[in-house]
Order: sequence, then structure tokens, then C-alpha cells
Amino acid sequence: MTKTIRVATDVGGTFTDLVCFETDSVTGESRVTTAKSDTTPPNFEQGVLNVLEKGGVAAGDIDFMAHGTTVVINALTERKGVKVGLITTLGFRDTLEIARGNRPDFFNLDYEKPKPFVRRALRREVPGRMNYRGEETAALDLSGLAGIVADFQAEGVEAVAVSLLHSYANPAHEEAVLAELRRLWPDVSAVGSHQISREWREYERSNSAVLSAYVQPVAERYLRRLESGLAEDGFDGQLYVMQSNCGVDSLEATARIPITMVESGPASGFWGAAELGKLIGAPDVLALDIGGTTAKCSLIKDGEVTIMTDYWIERDRTSAGYPIMVPVVDLVEIGNGGGSIAWVDDFSKLHVGPQSAGASPGPAAYGRGGRDATTTDANLWLGRINRDYFCGGAVEADMEAAGAALQKVADALGIDRDEAARGIVRIANNNMVNALKLVSLNRGHDPRDFVLVAFGGGGAMHAVALGQELGVKKVVIPTGASVFSAWGMMMSDLRRDYFLTALADLAPGASAGIEAQFAAVEAQATAQFEAENVSPGKVQFKRFGKFRYQNQEHTVEVPIEGAVTEAALAQITEDFHAAYQKEYTYRLAAPVEMVGLHVIASAEVGKLTPVEQPLGDAPASDAMKGRRKVDYAVEGIHEADIYDGEKIRPGMSFAGPAVIEDPGTTIVIHPGNRVEMDRWGNLHIILKTAEVA
Amino acid sequence: MANDPITNEIIQNSLQAVADEMFVAMQKTAMSSIIYEVLDMGTGITDAGGELASSGAGIPAFVGVLDKAVKMIAAKFAGEVAPGDVFAVNDPFHGGVTHLNDIIVAMPVFASGKLVAWTANIAHNSDVGGMAPGSLTGEAKEIFQEGLRLPPIRIIDAGKPIASVFDIIRLNSRMPEVLEGDVWAAISSARVGARRIEEIAAKYGADVFEAALVDFMDFGEAVSLKGLKALPKGTFELTEEQDDGSVFNVKITLTDETFTVDLRDNPDQVAGPINSCRDGVMIGAQMILKSLTDPRGPANGGSFRPIELLTREGSVFDAQEPVAMGFYYEIELRAYDLMWRCLAPHMPEHLGAGHFGSVCGTFIGGIHPDTGRPYTIVEPQVGGWGAAQGKDGNSAIFSAFHGETYNCPAEINEARNGVIIDRMELNCAPGGEGRETGGRGVVIDYRTRAEDGYVTVGYTRSRFPAWGLDGGRDGSPNYVRFIPQEGAPQEFAFVSGLKTRPGDVIRVITGNGGGLGDPCERPATKIAEDIFDGLLTPEHAKDVYGYDG
Repeated sequence: MTKTIRVATDVGGTFTDLVCFETDSVTGESRVTTAKSDTTPPNFEQGVLNVLEKGGVAAGDIDFMAHGTTVVINALTERKGVKVGLITTLGFRDTLEIARGNRPDFFNLDYEKPKPFVRRALRREVPGRMNYRGEETAALDLSGLAGIVADFQAEGVEAVAVSLLHSYANPAHEEAVLAELRRLWPDVSAVGSHQISREWREYERSNSAVLSAYVQPVAERYLRRLESGLAEDGFDGQLYVMQSNCGVDSLEATARIPITMVESGPASGFWGAAELGKLIGAPDVLALDIGGTTAKCSLIKDGEVTIMTDYWIERDRTSAGYPIMVPVVDLVEIGNGGGSIAWVDDFSKLHVGPQSAGASPGPAAYGRGGRDATTTDANLWLGRINRDYFCGGAVEADMEAAGAALQKVADALGIDRDEAARGIVRIANNNMVNALKLVSLNRGHDPRDFVLVAFGGGGAMHAVALGQELGVKKVVIPTGASVFSAWGMMMSDLRRDYFLTALADLAPGASAGIEAQFAAVEAQATAQFEAENVSPGKVQFKRFGKFRYQNQEHTVEVPIEGAVTEAALAQITEDFHAAYQKEYTYRLAAPVEMVGLHVIASAEVGKLTPVEQPLGDAPASDAMKGRRKVDYAVEGIHEADIYDGEKIRPGMSFAGPAVIEDPGTTIVIHPGNRVEMDRWGNLHIILKTAEVA
Repeated sequence: MANDPITNEIIQNSLQAVADEMFVAMQKTAMSSIIYEVLDMGTGITDAGGELASSGAGIPAFVGVLDKAVKMIAAKFAGEVAPGDVFAVNDPFHGGVTHLNDIIVAMPVFASGKLVAWTANIAHNSDVGGMAPGSLTGEAKEIFQEGLRLPPIRIIDAGKPIASVFDIIRLNSRMPEVLEGDVWAAISSARVGARRIEEIAAKYGADVFEAALVDFMDFGEAVSLKGLKALPKGTFELTEEQDDGSVFNVKITLTDETFTVDLRDNPDQVAGPINSCRDGVMIGAQMILKSLTDPRGPANGGSFRPIELLTREGSVFDAQEPVAMGFYYEIELRAYDLMWRCLAPHMPEHLGAGHFGSVCGTFIGGIHPDTGRPYTIVEPQVGGWGAAQGKDGNSAIFSAFHGETYNCPAEINEARNGVIIDRMELNCAPGGEGRETGGRGVVIDYRTRAEDGYVTVGYTRSRFPAWGLDGGRDGSPNYVRFIPQEGAPQEFAFVSGLKTRPGDVIRVITGNGGGLGDPCERPATKIAEDIFDGLLTPEHAKDVYGYDG
């Protein structure tokens, strides 16, 4: 028997997960197995090898492996990178510390500006200047570099970042500094800002280079050990690493610039949602991923995720955070998940999150000493989660603890526990609705044109209520919603996003210059793929221009079909006007400028083909396992049908009020909803639009 | 009937989300870098009468402006407001509060045919006419010289733009396309907000929505009163000499219910543009009260109810028509800093030493040598903040008047404005020494390339820098050193329309914040670190700290 084995491994903060897709190449039938083992810091690769063993997967049998990891983001947030030295243009050593000067927490006079990752003594300068057109205006002087290297070595610097003004327009000076640096210090880990970003804004680019240098030795060590560990176990297939732009990339490329992995965790799920949307004929998707601590959402239009380079870590209403200018899927994240703690402030106002009970002690109902009511406790209390089948039956729900925790909230509000539980669910839903509006309405998209795809441990619990509030067409819960991110990884392409700042007036005569810029980027991408044995014929390109009205700053990204010719300019201009008006309600007669371009280069690397099953005619009652009272918050208490998710078959159909339970997820179906399972095992929930919050 | 608390909470949360959404919409569409990059703008939502219900991100000094403008609009057009209308005002004597560059745009929101709220925003426009490019000049003696004055007017009538009004606005600006683009950005932002509020009000009903606003403002008041209770009580007074030799005075009285600021004993309004209207200094009082009582919570009309403000008509803090107001922000900031300094010795856990304390508004213009198009740089500057208990001050942050405000990257400045930024670094001049040190200001060199360029600046805290506290040294001054290609360098804090030629360097120097505590008590390890990082010379360390390495 010939079979193809594809494996996704994901190293998280607590657990390392494995999902294995075994496909019979004759029948096309696919078998999915999952396994979980502890994450093993600091030798994270050991956890990966452990989970393979636990899942009974022999490394030598694996054809394709996609790997996701939080190693980069953890090294950043836990400050476990290496000591970095920074080399800048003369007069700009303090850019990293001056940053942008903003103070988001503006009434707080005790604000603390985020500390730069490189202290002033290790920020050094070299003379030499480029202008914004990439022309040299002062020659580079490297005579001081030897002294800088000596100082860096004396101070124990382990990685060097180089960030010079206008290197986005012409990286020659940065390249020269890097070359001389490597000559003086052959084994140093070094990165130039142009290798990470070809866009302007020197603070953002410098900080990106610094953070990349900061994690580079750590991440490279990890990836190398993973590679050799797998090789020792006989693995000889293809290994790809999940990236923040929803693609996968080779281990070689990732080891060079690991910062591109920074937000790879959520990316695979959103990519999965985009692929799922295309599969079921719903290319416009609002994707929602609810985990234990946070909820993340992203909008997918025409089957395309949005990739941006405006990504920041540790940035919120109270801190300016740190920018990382790499391609990251456009998402909004809020501190609302299953473990989010409900609390009442001094003025009797109820809040949910952002503090989370985490995995330990976890929700009060875990019975591990948690005293605070969480969203999960409220869902249990209201009968939305089955108290006799908590965590798929793995945990006995401590309802006494949940009740006591809810009582605290109820007392502070002067209401009863049922009301308190309903209040928690309503507030949590409202927080998530506001986040979903941010990615949809806020960007000029009407949620009524979208399908809501919800996944992650808690996505299905809240999805219908949120979908009703937003008025989406329908809600889809994918098969295996709790391991959906792994499925997304199996659907990813080898993909790179190139962003380049390139100024041009969108006026007659401009096409040749613009076309040359696109062609140059595509040639560079092709060469890069070719060096990794991906033939040019397999590489596909998508072009986008970033445009604005003259004098504006922020741009609207518009897809460009085919070559940029004089004849095409009118259409491109009109596409910009239309896209602008959609987002901002008006258009202007002002001249249009191009500010930059975005090219997606991708190549398929043997993705999974989902298998269809025939729609059967067995009645849904075959999957029903009982009835119980469920409190739907604003829609009142209803006797709901309870279904075993593992017994629902394609073609089955039934109506709410109902709850679907399987080991990984609970799906709450509201009164008036209609549920159908499609050929691929996804559940479609057709909504009766109703008030829910 | 009272709403259930959860519904109130949901409506109130949503107001915050809407104000933030308005902010983003405006930022992304504006044409002036002062709006889209510096974010010299604000958004908010008021109730039907103009009382502030919620404010978006942006700058704290704009939080309390919108309600005052909307109140004037609501009063003037009472009974004549229709869905789809949009109004504007910029005149400080008619609800505009600040200066003529700041246009406030407001849109009514209806539910079931009833006016229930307003969405509003304010932003600094690059040029609204007047005697000088950018509309701001130290030479102005009357507000008529500072640009087009708009009392509360309707600019869109039931969804239809009133063409004559737009014609007038365009014709009065040196940068008509930019001004029109920015006004449309403001309209778009107000519309986005109005649409969202309509949805919320329609969903819950007008009465429930309005009750939630009332509850929210009562909550704001309760939070302020709770904070006020925890503060020391009494009357505190401060008299302080200013850079120009005039002497300012403030008396602040705190009780459990009131926060009274008395600014009556102050000089007459001046003939130049450095005056504030009463609403302007009210904002200073609102900011300091909010920072003292509840810096993290929402700011709305209720938050400011405990304030009683006493001013004298015709004084710099209550200037009367038709006085010039262009640099109002410096005088408003002086009033705010006066209140801060007055209270700091009595509330050490809330208030640290003084910060560089000036917007340091810098205006540089000319013709872009590469594009041939005119450019204007309108930038506030970052500077050093004061030390606080246990903490050295922050370096390079905008003044207390700004918040979510961003400096302009050198790379963008060079491309967009055709200047060359030779340096942008921390100010290592002495100043701000103490047990805890003040943060560092900056030194920025703008080398001009344009023929027939100009520079205008108006900085305060130039003669009297940021004040130290409790034995800490004062900071260092804010000023400009102008280094022309030909001729002698000169230093100034105020200059209007100084001509520049290619190759001239405008060096902006912003001050270090004030220090806190006796420098002799500073730990040796910290002094050693400052020396190692090049922030302090060994000689100065020996002089001030008595440190020998």
C-alpha cells in the first residue's frame, strides 16, 4: 500500500502538538491522528521528537513536515535573546531609543517608555549617506569598524544588527558594512535591516533588525538541532517552517531571518480558514480563533488573507511596544478566551479579561484551586458546556467551585449567579464582536457578506452568538476545529511576501518604471527559489500596488493583474479610487501616487487534498445523545438537543436549540438555527438573525 | 427606568470602540503630516446636548475640546438639525477653544427620529489662510491675521455638501487640496462614527442608549470623586516667573467634592498670539485632575464635574476677542505646568519633577527642490520628562499635551519635504541631575535644500528650563540654534518667518527633564552606567555627583 504521511508539529508554551494526516494514494482516504506532549525548554526539539514517538509516527516514514513554533515570540517576550550591538548611520545611534515619542497612556504621568533592546554604549555609528532615491551623497567610511568590533567583542556582544538610513532604497552601504564586519569577525551572527524590510521608517526598520539579531542565534540553534534530531531518527522528507505570512518556508531561509516566524501561531489557522472558504464556495470569510487566553480574528476576502508589515509586540493602550516590520497576517487579538477572568471593579462594573486563569490553576471548575470565575465557568453554569462531559470527559467539573466563584461576581453586582453567568457571557461576546468589527466594518467590509469560520478550543461555543450579532451569512465550524491550525499548515504554500517602498506618480509615462520595479522583485524571488531547487515554472506571482492621493501618507493596497503598461494605468487608477471609496466613503479628484509594491511569490509544496464523502440519508437522531436545559443568555432557557459530534455524518441536518459535543469542542446552536454537515465534515449553521448581546 | 448593568457596560464599551474607529479612519485619510503622522487630532462622542460621553485615542489636550464645540453647535442650530447634516467650527471665541488651524467637525446621530448623540473630531490643518504660511506667526496681533474664522456652520445639508462653503474654505488656503482633503477625512471619520452609533441606538432603543450615556457620565464623576477623596486637602499656591519676565500665579483648593483652580491673579492678555481663552485653560485643569484621580479610566463629561475654574476676563488665561491665539497651546501648557508644579511637592506619589514643558512647535517650509511643490513641516518635538519617585525620567517623549503622537521619521522627512536630517540624537547637555535624573531631550539638525524657505518656532521653557524637585537640578532649555551657510549662527526660542537658504541648518534642541532628590544620593552604579553610555562625562559626574569612578 502506498500512502503519504504529512505531519504538522507545533511547539506551544505548554504543549507540543502533533497532527498526522495519512493519505492512501489509491483510495484517497485519509486518517488523522493527534498527539500531545510537554514542551521541553530549553531543548524544544526534544519535545518534537517525543511527540512523534508518542503519536507512533516514525520519522523515516514522513514525506512532508510543517513545523510551527513559538520559540521566537517567547525569546522576545521573556527577554531570552542574546546581547546585540547595533551599527547605524552617523547621527542616528539614538533612533532606537527616541523611537516615535508617543505615549498612548496619555493621562498617566507615570508612563514608562519601552526600553530599547540595545543600550546606548552598544549603539555605534559609521559615516556615509544615501538619499531617499538611493543615491550616495557621502561615501561610506569603514575605518572605525575595527574599533567598534573590538568594543562589541569586549562587551560580549553575540549578534550585530546594521541599520543605515535609506537602505530600503539602496542597501549597498549596509551590504558593505556587513561584508567588512564578517571579514573582521568571521563567525558573528549579523543582519542588515534591508534583509528584513525594504520599506522606509528608520526606527521601525532598525528595531526589526535588532530584534531579529536578538533571537537569531537562539532560533538558529533550535532549528539546527531539530533538523539533526529528525535526521538521526531517519527523517529524509521535506521540512518546512510556518511563517507569520501564512506561508511555509525552508529551514535554511528561516534560520537566516528567523524573525519572520514571530506570529506564525495564528497564521496557519487563518490560512486554513481561507482554504476552507475556497473549498466550500465561500471565499469571503471572517475567521475567529478562540483559545484559552485570547481571541484572534482576521478577514479573508476573495480567498486571500491580508498581509501587512505594521506589526508590533507588547503594544496596547498602555504601552508603545516594539515594531517588527515583517509580513504578518492582519489580525486583531483581544484578551478574551475560555480562561479569561471575570471581575468587578470598584464601581460595580463587570469586566471579562484580559487576565486569564491560564492552564494552571485554570477555570474554577477545573478544581485546581482557581477561585476566579472565568468565561468557561459561566458557560458551564449556563449548561452551554456539559458538566458531565467537561474537556471531553477528561476533567470532572467542580461545579461547587464554579458556583462559589460566580457567587463572588454576583455579590459584587448585587444579582444572582445565573444573572452573573449570563452577564459574563454577554460581556465576553461583546468584546469579541468589537474585535470582529475592527477587522470588518472598520475596514469598509459588511459582515453580512461574510461567512464566520470559528475554530480553536472555544471558537464554536461563542461563534453563533457572534455571528447573529454581526448578521453574517452563516457560521461554519470546520471538522476537527480544535486542530484546525495544523490542517491550515498542511494547506500552506511555500510563500514569500516582498514589500518595497518605491515612489512614483501614477501619471502617463510611469508604467515602464513601475513594471521594472515589479520585474526586479520577481526576478529576485525566482532566483531565491531556484537556489532552493524550486524551478521557476512552479513559482506563481501576485502583484499589489500601494497607492494614495498625493500628500496623503497611508496607502490602500490594490491588486494589479498582468504587466503594468501605459494602457493599464487608467484601470489601476480607477481600481484605487474604488478601493479607497469603499474603505473611506468618499473619493477625490487629486493626483494618485504609488508608494510601494507588494509581491507574493508562492510555490505549491504538496499540500493535502481534502477528501469528499457522499452525503448520506441517515437521520440526525442517530447522533443525538440526550437533552438538557441550556441558558442562552438573552434568548432565555431552552430544552436543547445534545448531539455527539463524532456521530454526525455528511448530509445530516437538524435544528436548534441544540449543543454538539465532541472531545475537542462544544458547539452551541441557538434557537432558530439550522445545522447541516457538508461532504468534508464541516458543520454549517444557518442563522436566524436575532439579538444576542 | 434604569438599564441593566450589563447592557450599560456593553453600550459604553462600544462607544470607546467607535471613538477609536473614528480615529483610525481620520488618520488613514488625512493629507497633512501633522494629522496622519503626528496625530495632532482627536475624536469623540457627545450626548444630544454636547456633553462628552467618550473620547478616542489621540492627544489629551483635545479630549475636552469637542464637547465645548458641540455645545455651541447644538445651541445655535437647536431644532434645525437633520440626519446627514455635518457642522464645522474653528473660532476659539465661538466654541473652537484652540486656534484657527484646528477645525472641529461634528455630525448629529438620530435614533427613531430623535437626536441622541453627536460624533465629532478635531485636527490641525496645515494652512487656513492668514498673514503667514501655515497660518501661525508670532507677528499676529489680531485673530483676523491667523486665517479663516468659522463660527459654527453647516457644511453638509442632509448628506449634500454645501458647495459654496467648500469654495470659501478652499479659496482661503495656500494649500487648498490639502485642506479640502483633510476636511473630507474629518467628515468621513464623523460619518463612520455616526453610522455605528445609529446601529447601537437602534438596537437597544433611543431611551436605553441615552440612559447608558447618563450612567456613563455619572460613573465618570464617581471615579473622579473617589480619586479626589484620596488626595491631600487644602489650598496650595504657586507664583512663577516666565521666559518673557511676566509672573504667573495659581491657587488650587482641594476638597472631597471640588477641585478649584484660581487663575485670576495673572497678567493681561498680550498683543501677540500667546493667549488662551478660558476654555483652553479649563482643559489644562481637566487634564491634571484626570491624571491625579484616574489616569487609566475613561474620560467623559462626568469626570470633570468637580472642577471649578476662576479666571479674569481679559487676562492671558481668559483672552477676549479679537486677540490673536495662534500659539495658544504654549500658554495653555504653561497653565497646566503651573498647576502640576503647584501640587507636586504635596503629592509626590502622583507628580514628579517638571518636563521640558513645551510643544516646541516647529514650522519649516519652502519649495521641495525635487518635486517643485510647496511643503510645510509642522512638527511638535519630543523632549525630556522629569524624574519621579524611584524612576529616572523618560527620554524623548512629546509634551504632556500630546499622547498618541508620533515624530516624523528622517527617511520620510527627507523624501516628502526635501530637507536633510543630519542628526536626530539625545541631548547630552548637563541638566536634570538628581537622585533620579530627568530624561533626555533631543538634538535634530534640519538642513534645508529649498530656495526661499522659512522657519517659524515658538518654544517656552527656554530661559527657565524644566524644574527640579526636592533637591534635584533643573533640566536644560528648549531652543533653536540657526546655523546659516553664510553669516553668524544665532539662537532663539521664538522666531517668525526667518528666511532660509540651501545649506542652512536649523538645529532644534529640546530640554532635559528636571531631576528629583539630591544628586549625591544617586547610586554609583547608575552614574557609572550613564558615563559608559556616553550620557555623562566623567568631569561632570565629579562636579555634580562627586563621583570619581
